[in-house]
Amino acid sequence: MSSLRHVGTSPPRPEGGDKVGGRARYIHDITVPGMLHGAIRYSDHAHARIRRIDTSRAEALPGVRAVITAFNTPEIIIGFMGDNPVLKKDKVRQFRDELAAVAAEDAETARAAAELIEVEYEPLPGVFSVEEALAEGAPLIHETDRRGKPLSSNRLPLIFGHDSGDLAAGETAAAFVAEGSFSTPLIQQSCMGTAGALAEFDSNGNLTITAKTQIPFLAQRDFTKAMASLGLKGCSVRVVVPTLGGGFGTGLDTHVYEYISILLAWRTGKPVRVLYNREQEFAYLSPRQSTESRVRQGCDKQGRLTFRSVEVVQDNGAYASWGATYPSVMLLPTTSLYRVPAVRFRSDIVYTNNTYCQAMRGYGNPEVTLGIESTLDELAELSGIDPLEIRRINCNQPGEVTPMGLKVGTCGLAECLDRAGERSAWSEKRGQGRATSRGIGISSLIHVGGGGKIYRSDGSGIILKLDDYGVVHVNYGGVEMGQGLHSAISLMVADGLGVKPSSVIVNQTDTATCPWDVGTHASRGAFMAGNAALKACAKLRARLFEWAPRVYGDLVAENIKRARRRDGDFDPGFTEELLAKLTPGQFELLDGELFPHGETGLPPLEDAPWLKVDLGRFLRAVHFPRAGGAGTVFTEEAFYEPATELPDWEKGYGNMSASYTYGCQAIEVEVDQETGQVTVLKLVSALDVGRVLNPQTLKGQVYGGIAQGLGYALYEEVKTEGGRVLNPGFTDYKLPTASEMAFPIELEFVETDDASGPFGAKGVGEPGLVPTAPAMANAIQDAIGVRIRDLPITPEKILDALAARDGA
Amino acid sequence: MNRVTFTLNGRSTVAVVDPHKRLIDLLRDTLGETGTKEGCGEGECGACTVLVDGRAVNSCLYPAPEVEGREVLTIEGLADSRGKGLSPLQQAFLDNGGTQCGFCTPGMVMAAVDLLRRNEHPTRADIQTALTGNLCRCTGYVQIFESIEAAASATNGGES
Amino acid sequence: MTTLTYQRPTSLREALETGGSDGARFVSGGTDLMVQRRSGRSGTENLVSLRRVEELAGIDWKNDQLRIGAAVPLAGIGADQRIARDFPALAQAIAALGSVQIRNVATLGGNLCNASPAADTAPALLAYEARIEIANTGGTRTVGLDEFFTGPGSTVLQPGELLTAILLDARQSAGSAFMRLGRVRMDLAIASAAALVEIEDNRCTHARVAVGAVAPTPLRLSAVEEILEGKAPDGPTLAKAQAAVDALISPISDLRASARHRRRITPVLVARALEAAISMATGDAQ
Repeated sequence: MSSLRHVGTSPPRPEGGDKVGGRARYIHDITVPGMLHGAIRYSDHAHARIRRIDTSRAEALPGVRAVITAFNTPEIIIGFMGDNPVLKKDKVRQFRDELAAVAAEDAETARAAAELIEVEYEPLPGVFSVEEALAEGAPLIHETDRRGKPLSSNRLPLIFGHDSGDLAAGETAAAFVAEGSFSTPLIQQSCMGTAGALAEFDSNGNLTITAKTQIPFLAQRDFTKAMASLGLKGCSVRVVVPTLGGGFGTGLDTHVYEYISILLAWRTGKPVRVLYNREQEFAYLSPRQSTESRVRQGCDKQGRLTFRSVEVVQDNGAYASWGATYPSVMLLPTTSLYRVPAVRFRSDIVYTNNTYCQAMRGYGNPEVTLGIESTLDELAELSGIDPLEIRRINCNQPGEVTPMGLKVGTCGLAECLDRAGERSAWSEKRGQGRATSRGIGISSLIHVGGGGKIYRSDGSGIILKLDDYGVVHVNYGGVEMGQGLHSAISLMVADGLGVKPSSVIVNQTDTATCPWDVGTHASRGAFMAGNAALKACAKLRARLFEWAPRVYGDLVAENIKRARRRDGDFDPGFTEELLAKLTPGQFELLDGELFPHGETGLPPLEDAPWLKVDLGRFLRAVHFPRAGGAGTVFTEEAFYEPATELPDWEKGYGNMSASYTYGCQAIEVEVDQETGQVTVLKLVSALDVGRVLNPQTLKGQVYGGIAQGLGYALYEEVKTEGGRVLNPGFTDYKLPTASEMAFPIELEFVETDDASGPFGAKGVGEPGLVPTAPAMANAIQDAIGVRIRDLPITPEKILDALAARDGA
Repeated sequence: MNRVTFTLNGRSTVAVVDPHKRLIDLLRDTLGETGTKEGCGEGECGACTVLVDGRAVNSCLYPAPEVEGREVLTIEGLADSRGKGLSPLQQAFLDNGGTQCGFCTPGMVMAAVDLLRRNEHPTRADIQTALTGNLCRCTGYVQIFESIEAAASATNGGES
Repeated sequence: MTTLTYQRPTSLREALETGGSDGARFVSGGTDLMVQRRSGRSGTENLVSLRRVEELAGIDWKNDQLRIGAAVPLAGIGADQRIARDFPALAQAIAALGSVQIRNVATLGGNLCNASPAADTAPALLAYEARIEIANTGGTRTVGLDEFFTGPGSTVLQPGELLTAILLDARQSAGSAFMRLGRVRMDLAIASAAALVEIEDNRCTHARVAVGAVAPTPLRLSAVEEILEGKAPDGPTLAKAQAAVDALISPISDLRASARHRRRITPVLVARALEAAISMATGDAQ
């Protein structure tokens, strides 16, 4: 590594110019010659047997090139439980079940044809809540598992649990116990760029799919499996990622619409693009899973936690995608947010006829942190300890190993609490209470900061290729979603190698050119890319410096000759013998210039600028024979695999990340007790980020997380009735607007310099939204004396709670 | 079909459109100017914001044939196409973290152009009000506010 | 191939003639109509744009009488200094309606003709006792806005008829205000209220109160007005007025709020609109 010149600065993000100029190409902007448009026919029922699908009217529509159903297309089954056929044959299990798809010459024709498909159903009773799904005699959503073995329950066979310490002893030791039931809503990730895919085959049967994905390589694996079903075993799959338009978890799994674009392209021999509009995005893309949880914890008279129990029930919807595995991350706050000697965790994941769910930023963490941080405030009240103080009392410490086996390493939570307390004027604002209708609340968070091992590899590969002009081309398999990954890579490669950030080009993510990466999730992008890049940079520097003694002398001799041409009396002040004696260890590369350093006997650089050799010139010299080169070009790859463990999920044990990000948020609110409206007055976020890589993109991540947290806390909910989405659009699904983000926000960053992170950095993609909702609930409680345990905290719920309080 | 003649980013433009198409369809599908984005199709998100006769409108709600004789300005028309081709306001968005995933950015920038033309030195509250019709899911808006403030303080209005 | 048309008449006569034909539909700002065209879906009607019709385009004052052309964009009304002074509740309602982009094209005529129970401008205009000018090929007529709405999405307009202008009389000594609540700033109203009062010698001599989003149409609350008129505009009177609201409204439950919640907040909005109007009226008197 060279010295730190660019890490910690905020040059414009490399892909930003195209974005502000309207030149960035999203899936919606990409068309290719001969491209057809795909449209999907979805179910009219939440649960029904399919009697007949008649596509004849659709096929007859001019402009239609193909109509596919399960009856004329090879079967492809997707999902990690193997429970989701791409085209449904026997029955539909949710309103978004795919019955047929059309490829047509224009989008309007495709859509019209899809509507002309006639489907006859035999409606079945549906189950639309966990209670209904688990009731005696409830209709089964899946009658068999993927191997055809009959199932007897709607419960998914996924076990995430945890028991540590002596829970009974913890109960006994507790002087105070707080307990509550909490619920979190179904919410939509709401990427501004909607979903889509463009599939095309070449004449050899090789597939290229341009897809809005966060997991190009796992998608390649999934699509490759599907190729076998099409009789294309052995043909290649190439996944290309366009400018994404936001991810937030939506791209963590492959989607049926992607397979449909593949099937239609295969059937027609033409490129086929399937796009979602906003309404379809709401109705047919997998949202964040809703949860019900029961949280119970206790503390002794000094406020020290003695036990914690968390039970979670999830309405999974009709098929299993990653929403089903939120408990894997719920284990983090449950076992490892604050020091708790005895912990119990149970989860129950249940199929229903609702829409099936997927990942979203935070992935189970905010769902559980709500209950933990709310009951912690109740313990503070019961024990008469200030809420900020009780968090200090139980604060995690550096180097500890948590009940889950997390090796905490660095932990800046104590400093985060101090800074948030100070910047929010906590002691002055807390407890003003009902007289003012103003209040302040706080919540902490833990999240993975060094990847999150949920697959057999949590690794990332990188390729650095130097061209003849000193430009480094980076091929990295992770995805720039808007979070600033490419900016972070350019800064880290710049400092890691010794070039300017403007000489680092991060190429489009493409499985054909980039080495394997598990996916951009779990706040891992910059952490993994940085560690991989530093490995590759070290190799590259070693090779460059190995070559340096062979050509450097000649290049400097040319510099001297040039200087003499300008100034006949020029005297370098040393003999060329000194140059010939230089060894690889005596070279340095900085901002794209190669020069000797250390005890070389050469004059200092400031007096001898001609000792600097432009990297491009050096590379050309090594490449071409003129200056002693030998056809050498520089490309280095590296693969970084963090030293983490794939947890045993049934035991809830394993060090899944290389580092852990801690932090907290304090929120000050005012509540209008007549209308129930909540106004945020101020928010302070303090986050242990390890090291600030790019202050601007870091702030952007946290501000954005806070806005999503605000939406989760106060506004957002996908409403459904009998499995149908009632508010599929921004008219009735309200995101915070600029006017809602009108309160002052102060960001504090604690730099703990974690040894596992590139330049000491931890992952920070998700934490921004984790503590917002619980801090809000705690602030509202402080303001008006009522506690809301059910998100979003709408004015209606506040007035109900006030009425209940006053009526009681 | 209707034939419309209008000025697009300073160039006289003639196109034939279905009378029921929207301005965004005319821009993106007919003319291939894909800088303008469709985020919702119902005037809630503002990603499709363009200026018609100098006023910000949602191009997803604007009938295409209505542009007859009018001047339309899109994100592609803010700066000339030489070099980096960014206007001072676009540069301010780039320099101040006003773009993340970028999908809302063209509409956000056009809404800001409209604001700065009416109000050269807007307050933070003016900016928040002016951007209320432009949703962003990435930035939390703060650095967008800062971008516009930077553009406004740089010169007179940031658009010159 | 479609044979549908989009016409851009420039005179009222031309507009009425084209708009009167079968399968034709007037479109003003079009912000509500065009939502149906999203993702390129085609419509089935011949559209007649009102944006270029000269007679619909002006804001005209005659002494204290104001005539707002039906096709004036809301932004133009909102930016009018005299309207902001003489009809502050209307200006406040417009400022609360949609976004800059919407206000730049949506029109007052369009907002009223949609006849949404939640139309933000309606309660303010009801409080000002606005009259509506309606034209057809035979001539023009005028109706009070309180007679204009007949139900959700329906008005007294007959096929081929056109709302041409909104007529208002400024009451120089009145105070008026508009209040509304949505889930976020950019939202349809969950409930809204407008109030206008005149105060002489600490007595309310004239009161008009209207609400939106809590009945099949925007609604004048005459019973509340009666409570106020002739009384001192003090706490007890306001409390009585506030208490009377519930019996007059018939809100529904929808995605935005429950009927119960609307019943709780509407009296509060009415009281707050009245307080603001009273404070403006008495402030002027001093």
